Amino acid sequence: MDLFLQTALNGLVLGGIFSLAAVGFSLIFGVIGIVNLTHGVFVVAGAYLALVLHDSFGIDPLIGVLPIGAVLFAVGYAYQRTIIHWAVSRASVEASLVVTFGMAMVFRNLLQLWFGPDVQAITPSYGFQSVAIGEIRIDVVRLAALGASMVILLALALMLARTHFGRAMRAVAQQPLAASLCGLDVRRIFGLTFGMSAALAGASGAIIGIVQPFSAATEVAWTLNAFVVVVLGGIGSPAGALIGGLLLGLINAFTAQYVGPALTQAMMFLVLVGMLLLRPQGILGAAYGETR
Amino acid sequence: MSEAILSGRGVTKRFQGVTAIEDVDFDIPEGAIFGLIGPNGAGKSTLFNLITGYLPLTSGEIRFRGEPLGAMPIFRRNQAGMARAFQIAKPFRALSVRQNVAVGAMFGRPDAHDVEATAAEAMRIAGIEALADRRADALTVGELRKLEIARAVATRPVLLLADEPCAGLNPSETAEMVRCLRSVRETGVTVWLVEHDMKAVTSICDRILVIDAGRKLAEGSPAEIVADPAVIEAYLGAPLDAAEGGAG
Amino acid sequence: MTRPARPLAVFAALVAAVAVALAPEALGPFHIRVLQFFFFSAALATAWNLLGGYAGYWSFGHMAFIGIGAFAAAHYAMAFGGGGAGPASMIAPVAVGALSAGGVALVIAYPLLRLRGIYFAIAMLGVSQIAAELTNNVGVLKGGIGVFLPSPTPAGMPPERFFYYLFAVLLGLCLLIAWAIRRTRFGYALLAIREDEDTAMMLGVATERWKIAAFVLSATLTGTAGAIYGYSLGYFTTYSVFRLDFSLNMIVFCLIGGIGTLWGPTIGAALLLFLTQVLLSRFLDVHLMITGALVVATVLLMPGGILRAVGELPRLRPKREGGT
Repeated sequence: MDLFLQTALNGLVLGGIFSLAAVGFSLIFGVIGIVNLTHGVFVVAGAYLALVLHDSFGIDPLIGVLPIGAVLFAVGYAYQRTIIHWAVSRASVEASLVVTFGMAMVFRNLLQLWFGPDVQAITPSYGFQSVAIGEIRIDVVRLAALGASMVILLALALMLARTHFGRAMRAVAQQPLAASLCGLDVRRIFGLTFGMSAALAGASGAIIGIVQPFSAATEVAWTLNAFVVVVLGGIGSPAGALIGGLLLGLINAFTAQYVGPALTQAMMFLVLVGMLLLRPQGILGAAYGETR
Repeated sequence: MSEAILSGRGVTKRFQGVTAIEDVDFDIPEGAIFGLIGPNGAGKSTLFNLITGYLPLTSGEIRFRGEPLGAMPIFRRNQAGMARAFQIAKPFRALSVRQNVAVGAMFGRPDAHDVEATAAEAMRIAGIEALADRRADALTVGELRKLEIARAVATRPVLLLADEPCAGLNPSETAEMVRCLRSVRETGVTVWLVEHDMKAVTSICDRILVIDAGRKLAEGSPAEIVADPAVIEAYLGAPLDAAEGGAG
Repeated sequence: MTRPARPLAVFAALVAAVAVALAPEALGPFHIRVLQFFFFSAALATAWNLLGGYAGYWSFGHMAFIGIGAFAAAHYAMAFGGGGAGPASMIAPVAVGALSAGGVALVIAYPLLRLRGIYFAIAMLGVSQIAAELTNNVGVLKGGIGVFLPSPTPAGMPPERFFYYLFAVLLGLCLLIAWAIRRTRFGYALLAIREDEDTAMMLGVATERWKIAAFVLSATLTGTAGAIYGYSLGYFTTYSVFRLDFSLNMIVFCLIGGIGTLWGPTIGAALLLFLTQVLLSRFLDVHLMITGALVVATVLLMPGGILRAVGELPRLRPKREGGT
């Protein structure tokens, strides 16, 4: 029973991080209709930036989240306004899939040249402490990571629901043409959405850095995780990302514990394929009406 | 009237609680040009989707040439002699007009025939022989509509379901489309036409079915329909030619 | 069904065949190996193109069929022997590898091909991950410790030359099949599916059946290539044949050369491999960036690839046989 609870807890902690790492991907998919295969690179870039801040300046990754988010916001905004915009207007939304894939290769290679191909990890001062609740133990870093993820997701959900920008974003997602006729600057909102998505990815990367080892090559896994989370939970909303992420975390933890640690990917994709066939709109459905 | 080529009994479609089509009966006589009209959102396209198999029925039955259609796959319905021209023209954009039409001729009703001759004949009926070697994505809206008809006709159907073939066309294009539908009928094909343009409908249809909010409102000859008080009521309470004639 | 090929095309094909046959005489082992890899890659891309280019169903997981083909061939050869020695010993295992890949495709085709666009692409990626992990972790499949295939090279011939010829023949076969499909109803059905599947159904195209046929054919050819590749390695583990970069390269070659065209995949493979293997062979650490940048540039500057998809269709000739 304790093993079961411990596994469930590990799964939820992992799931919280998956949620944060996927929510930006989900926003772009929901609002702009683009599957951004560069997403995982932003996550890993966030982890590398956190590593640099921690090792060179002694800044804790959980504080580093703020500057990292700001930097990646700028990168994401610029990326959308140049290459993505170019791809969508010159070719098609499908072409943007290929373009983001190509850009992911370029960025990954740049990260490899810059930081080397080795696997890295960030070890903050509280790295080896853990707390016990009855028989169950949990590392402080994992708790901190989960807490930070939840705070950021909550802030995002509030922003989408309450602010003008959030409402504008949802309007653009549903009816880009109508929204632009109502005076919204759709292109700017697309840019801001991309920026925000990259910022969230970077923030999640900083948090991931303290609980998991990472390298440039792991970017593929983060993009795929994001996709699975979106398929499980539903497109375009923080709530969908949260549910999908937690579910994925649980699947991972229980498969590793009870089936075999080498089969987590296989199980994840088995669930993914089953989900696509049975309920393609995800558990919560698409946040913005029909899927594109 | 000769016997019905297509008939429906109690045709009903619900989408998660919303009833789109409720208990509609119809009989399409062979050789006719039959009209289907109704206000926006009345369920006209839904009815066509039910008949062609793009949506499953909630209840009721549709028979085509006497046989119940059941869950027959879409392509089999076409091979059995049912063709459809879509409301939003969906050409194969990368192919030429001739190739577009050839796809219909190649895969339609499965009996021995010359694909090229069938395609050429279909293009002649629709009046687009001159465009044969043009790429489909270089056509105007009016030309696309005619391509839609040609491609459907090339499958050599006995029944053509035409979903608003005149929508968005100017008066001269509409007149051409009416001529085109007449020549389709002359080849022995029964035509069922959804149309907004009352002038087009009343000028070529033998009989008209009116639906409103998913229910059958009236059925009869064009003259009867235009005079029907329930129909006039449904169309904004105004006389039909005044309400709709100007739009065409 | 088909019109006679133009004499010029036949002549060009003959010249190409003679050139391919004689080239090893003039080349050193390194260049023969580069060309061997080129034939292998071009054959894979051409096989991928049957489904991805012709029918518009982009698989991001075709490496699954390479791996299945190689492992099925190896297990058959280890269990039953090849029968005979030299090249003849390959025939049965390669056939088993090809049929296994095709068989797996046939089983998963119906559910997977109901997915469209990005969903199909990612589901295939999932299938390939599952296949790789199962091969690696299920004991009897021996993916973790590796499997052997005996050398089929005839006595006195350098192995790279033997596989050079083998892959050249395979590429020729793939091109021949791709060419033949274009001039039949099969080709038209796939094009109609790619352009607009819903409309194709209403024109009498049995979309489900044609898609499955294209998928199984593509997987079978990929499995054949995988089995031969397994022979060329001799000994291999899971991740020497289930390679993600194989899946990606198939797509990239088609994109750069011209997706949906007959020669596009071959041209794309030739260009990219020449660039990375020959010109930039000393700058291994930037290969990924160059490939990525080329992909982006191709999509942005020439969305149709080097060959445009248009104008490739044969003139209309096929006639309908009676009573199908």
